[in-house]
Amino acid sequence: MTEPLPPSPPHPSRRSLGRLDWFVFLVADVQTGFGPFVAVYLTTQHWTQIEIGLVLTVSGLVSLAGQMPGGALVDAARSERIVAGVAVSLIAASALIYATSPIFPAVLVAATMQAAASCVLGPAIAAISLGLVGYAAIGERFGRNARFAAVGTGLSAAVMGAIGYFFSAQAVFFVTAALLIPALFVLRGIVSAEIDPERAHGNPSGQPAGKPRAGLRSLLRQRPLQIFGCCILLFHFANAAMLPLMGSVLTTRSSQWATVLIGACIVGPQLVVALFSPWVGRQAQRWGRRPLLLVGFAALPIRGFLFATVTDPYLLVVVQLLDGLTAAVFSVMVPLTIADLTRGTGRFNLTQGVVGTMMGVGASLSPTFAGYLSDAFSSRVAFLGLASIAVLGLATVWLLMPETRPPARSPSLNRQAVVGPLP
Amino acid sequence: MRDRFGIVFLATVLIALGAAAQPDSTASPSVTILETQEAQSILGRDVRSLTDEDMGRIVDILVDGEGGVRAAIIDFGGFLGVGNRKIAVDWKALHFVPAAGKRYSVVLELTRDQVKAAPEYKEGKPTIVLGASGNLEPLP
Repeated sequence: MTEPLPPSPPHPSRRSLGRLDWFVFLVADVQTGFGPFVAVYLTTQHWTQIEIGLVLTVSGLVSLAGQMPGGALVDAARSERIVAGVAVSLIAASALIYATSPIFPAVLVAATMQAAASCVLGPAIAAISLGLVGYAAIGERFGRNARFAAVGTGLSAAVMGAIGYFFSAQAVFFVTAALLIPALFVLRGIVSAEIDPERAHGNPSGQPAGKPRAGLRSLLRQRPLQIFGCCILLFHFANAAMLPLMGSVLTTRSSQWATVLIGACIVGPQLVVALFSPWVGRQAQRWGRRPLLLVGFAALPIRGFLFATVTDPYLLVVVQLLDGLTAAVFSVMVPLTIADLTRGTGRFNLTQGVVGTMMGVGASLSPTFAGYLSDAFSSRVAFLGLASIAVLGLATVWLLMPETRPPARSPSLNRQAVVGPLP
Repeated sequence: MRDRFGIVFLATVLIALGAAAQPDSTASPSVTILETQEAQSILGRDVRSLTDEDMGRIVDILVDGEGGVRAAIIDFGGFLGVGNRKIAVDWKALHFVPAAGKRYSVVLELTRDQVKAAPEYKEGKPTIVLGASGNLEPLP
């Protein structure tokens, strides 16, 4: 803690990197415990649909509005580790509140707390990663993060689904809260002195603290960032409703196996992410960001088109594996592109919040759009509608998005030139 | 999971455990005591089919102007919040079997195959209720 900042290039210990793997894994486990189980659990607690809808709406709004403040908080923090620890503790506390006192005011507080803490936790993990390994190795590191998050999500979806089925939804929240202990334990194992706080915020390492950071306005005026934000919005607009819509189509087509098939549709893509994301991270460094973004984005309209045409439920599960390809690309490319675009600005995490807001807007438009199309016409039309949004996004990447990878072997001094002048 | 954002605005039936209100407000209301085996809350209760298939859970109840219960909304199918659909089933197709334990088991006289293709219940639109024979009948 009291050691002076390590000089660049960074030398993270294997222990710190291993603990970060585990932390990412455990955070994914904790987050899986929420979402699907909240509605089911509150229903079993005799909650009405109106109350449940209200709680979910509030938590959705908080997680949208909290993205940018969350990122700014991480940028301002001197210890990303403490921020992450507090955030994960708040999430565990809210799980405990859900489990022990399912009354309206308490649940509202818990939902708000969980949503707000999640806004901080995502950027904090990316910041710890960047602070540990630095720009040269960050592509591969984000790939590793995506792998462990996917394994955590896939595994805990299966395990917590089973706990919810065989025991109760309440038990899921107790398990979620209990995961706090190993999460804090592994977080403590990440050596604080190895996380350069300046590097974690997107500044050159070893920079004296207190240097003025780039203004939000000058940041938002960057054209590549605007374009990337639009791509992310279109991506989530096209993507978010696809799995839920496909799930309800599966439910209408197959009765005996629907549950298992939907389970496969959730877990399958996570396996693909776990297998491919570290590779994506490495290739992003070698090939550049654009080719991978294009491949990941291209899989989305193909998936939408196939969902609209394929009727066999088993084939639908195979098509859903394309989601894994897209997710492997985006879970690496989103933080990586943001890291590229914010080099030397000290605003890495705030910018993650900006892009996170775009993501949230896209994801909340998606079900409304798809729901309208499937009610007014059919689910096939809805899939085709989502696919055309995806084509729009793909075209945006193809025509407008510049390559953001810094020139190879550029000395660290020249790096700032890549993203334009500092304010 | 964002698909749950649509808030379902629907009056929810309170199963009156107390006796009917007396017209004379000064007199003390009459009191009826119901054993736990006689009446229970059913919101959120699991529903099974006759062959013990998982049929989802009761999330809402629809009543008509006379106070008669017409249909129950069950949240059917899906895994981890994906693929579940709200379906209206005829109240008469539901049976509440006092079990040896504390809770009634709720049995629906339909199979998963009959329920899976039913149109989704949407508040504010005419409700299509799945009858005991597996036929679809619109509520007036």
